[in-house]
Amino acid sequence: MQRMIPVDKLARPEDHILLPANRTRNARSEQGLSPGNAMPYEDDFLKSRMHGICGGEFQAMEAAGRTLYDFPDAPWEFQLDMARQVWDESRHAEIYMKLLEYVGSYYGEFPEGEVLWSCTQAEDPAARVAGINRGLEGLACDVFEQLIRIAQKMGDTIIERSVDYVLADEITHVRMGSQWMRKLTEGDPERFKRAQEFQDRIDELFNFGPGRKHIEDVDHVKQRINDKEIEIDSGITIAREARLLAGFTEEEIDRLVKGFGKSSAY
Amino acid sequence: MPDLGERGHVMGPQPIAAIVQPPAEMLAAAEQLLNALMRGDHASVEAMTPAHVRDEMMAVAKAIPPNKYDKFELIGRARVAKHYFLKAQLTGRNAEPFKFQFRLGATDGKWTVREALNLTGRRSAWSR
Repeated sequence: MQRMIPVDKLARPEDHILLPANRTRNARSEQGLSPGNAMPYEDDFLKSRMHGICGGEFQAMEAAGRTLYDFPDAPWEFQLDMARQVWDESRHAEIYMKLLEYVGSYYGEFPEGEVLWSCTQAEDPAARVAGINRGLEGLACDVFEQLIRIAQKMGDTIIERSVDYVLADEITHVRMGSQWMRKLTEGDPERFKRAQEFQDRIDELFNFGPGRKHIEDVDHVKQRINDKEIEIDSGITIAREARLLAGFTEEEIDRLVKGFGKSSAY
Repeated sequence: MPDLGERGHVMGPQPIAAIVQPPAEMLAAAEQLLNALMRGDHASVEAMTPAHVRDEMMAVAKAIPPNKYDKFELIGRARVAKHYFLKAQLTGRNAEPFKFQFRLGATDGKWTVREALNLTGRRSAWSR
């Protein structure tokens, strides 16, 4: 059974444009922009950020579905959790498609990347949940918490509440990942170590772009969003409170800040 | 997305910003490039291609037999800031459709090709 599926085997319409990250980076660099993704001070920031998240939700849905399919001998409760996650992520994808419409965009306006799908490339279900649920969904907590604060400054309750609703699920997914990572590797420290290393590699994968900081340490820039000028974070922040709720320890969060000296995602 | 009809008649949140429309000059440049490729007019193709992209663009141009295709369709479009990635398909009566992807960007108002990739036998620009 093939467990490592290339990203462009995912079902997408013909009009969809899928790009490796280096092509997107080249296009941005040639325009004098930072090579990562759209930054908070760019005009397209909200559209581009939500587009990246929407693609992430699609790939997270597909990833949980593949994990369910790829490991038929995993405990029944594990399979139930993965099935529940497919359902959650599909609702998130719908929510973000609506939010894209709300901010004057649509799914497909920007290219879809392959970086998030690479988090699924593990043969062991313990490593999969470490990478996807703890690495990727932990990162989603950071990105969503920042979006909620931006929406609060904009006075936009539609974005604020929609993203908060999705964030609540992501916290559950991280907890689910932590629980299964421990349970599936019980009595096998080597397997636990390999799963942790896979998660570390994923954390490293997002180690490009500008600095990741605690909320209280981040610089701010002025940004005009529609008819309002607001101050927003100049870079990506760590959602300490959400991560603590999700079961990350203070030590793990500190490690992320130190290790993610230059990080950006979506 | 399903057609939701006249948005103004729908209850609930309305869009807070407008969709960015592709510039007419960019679409005109794409049309000019595709017509030149179908004619086998390599000089016109080269004129739209900066030196550092010339090899990959001409590799695509040389893979297209002159005058075998008579129609083109832009089947995909996505933007990165102000550059546009376009997926195009050429068709002709006795020819297999030819699909490729290219990126257009403008400098001083002139749209040129910034990268090009033959998609024959591949599903996307990601495929190795």
